[in-house]
Amino acid sequence: MAEDRVPTWEDVARRYGRKIYSFAYRLTGNPDDASDLVQELLLRVRKGLANYTPGSFEGWLWRITRNAFLDDVRKKKRRPTSPLPDDDRAVLGASPSPDEVLASVRLSDDVQAALLKVPMEFRECVVLCDVVGLSYEEISSAIDAPVGTVRSRIHRGRKQLRGLLTWPM
Amino acid sequence: MADVTQPQPIDHVTATGVDNACDIGELMSAYLDGELREGELDQVVAHLSDCLSCIAEFHDLKEARTAVRMLPILQVPDRVMPAAHYGPELSAFLDGELTVDEQTMIVQHLESCTECLLELQDLDAARTAVRALPGVEPPAPLLPRLPVRSQRTSMRRIAVAAAGFIGAAFIAFNMMTSAPEETPVDLDQFADRHTVRQSVEGNFTGVPVIAPRSSP
Repeated sequence: MAEDRVPTWEDVARRYGRKIYSFAYRLTGNPDDASDLVQELLLRVRKGLANYTPGSFEGWLWRITRNAFLDDVRKKKRRPTSPLPDDDRAVLGASPSPDEVLASVRLSDDVQAALLKVPMEFRECVVLCDVVGLSYEEISSAIDAPVGTVRSRIHRGRKQLRGLLTWPM
Repeated sequence: MADVTQPQPIDHVTATGVDNACDIGELMSAYLDGELREGELDQVVAHLSDCLSCIAEFHDLKEARTAVRMLPILQVPDRVMPAAHYGPELSAFLDGELTVDEQTMIVQHLESCTECLLELQDLDAARTAVRALPGVEPPAPLLPRLPVRSQRTSMRRIAVAAAGFIGAAFIAFNMMTSAPEETPVDLDQFADRHTVRQSVEGNFTGVPVIAPRSSP
């Protein structure tokens, strides 16, 4: 799995599947939409890899991820729905105590609900930065906007998000 | 009427929605993310050292950032993910040749993929079996000759060098310890040498000088 070779479609599915799904879920709050995005994206990756030349793979991947997401949203022409906390519960292990589990789920729900109230253009940058873990430069490439715009959107998104989170941190 | 020549108190509003009048907001988020440009770090650090409202906003931004970062990375539903299994990566995993991220990815995959887990067990068994094989000495005729010959040559060189050293040491020892030999003086030879020298230099006293032949 060297960095300088073109990954296979299976590599992409294994390595980025969870992040792509999380990206879509955090943006939409809807597990069905997130699943649709992963499937659509993997199809695009399979087609796109034939013409992909080694370079910034992450930039390329997240650019087509975002485009697939926007296309999907346009196609469905519906607003993001409310979050379904069942998805967050699915990732919790058996070891934490019931209280910890409930607290963690509640926290995730609150943050997810707050995220969905942040305007999409800000939310998108916040999620790419803090969920996916991209640099400002990579986000700039993914959303096709200047780094200064990315910086501004992340800041404004976080600021609004903090105002929406009512619980003490 | 307000005195415009004096600095006006800044109407700071903390982070719940209104922009901070200090206008370093974007820099604070970039600071949190390690994304400041050259020269901006000093500006942010200096400002945060004496602006209480910006310090409060900084902590608000940090909390919002932490909240999103703590969201779990979700498991993709099985029906969505292709049945992608690991191959050569499993051997590299056994040999500790993967990065930490790759190892984590495989461990997570193994939690839900029985097929890859069985494959890993098979590979581990094969690897253990091969490693347990005893070492075998190759038959003598198959041993390459070159290393042996070169070894002999080296030994010979060492022996020659050692002998030379011992010989030189012996000679030096003899020179230091033995007294110079007294050789008997050959008077006839001495007299001949003396005559020749006198004839050349011409000033050897005690010996008759041969006058130069006068010209006619």
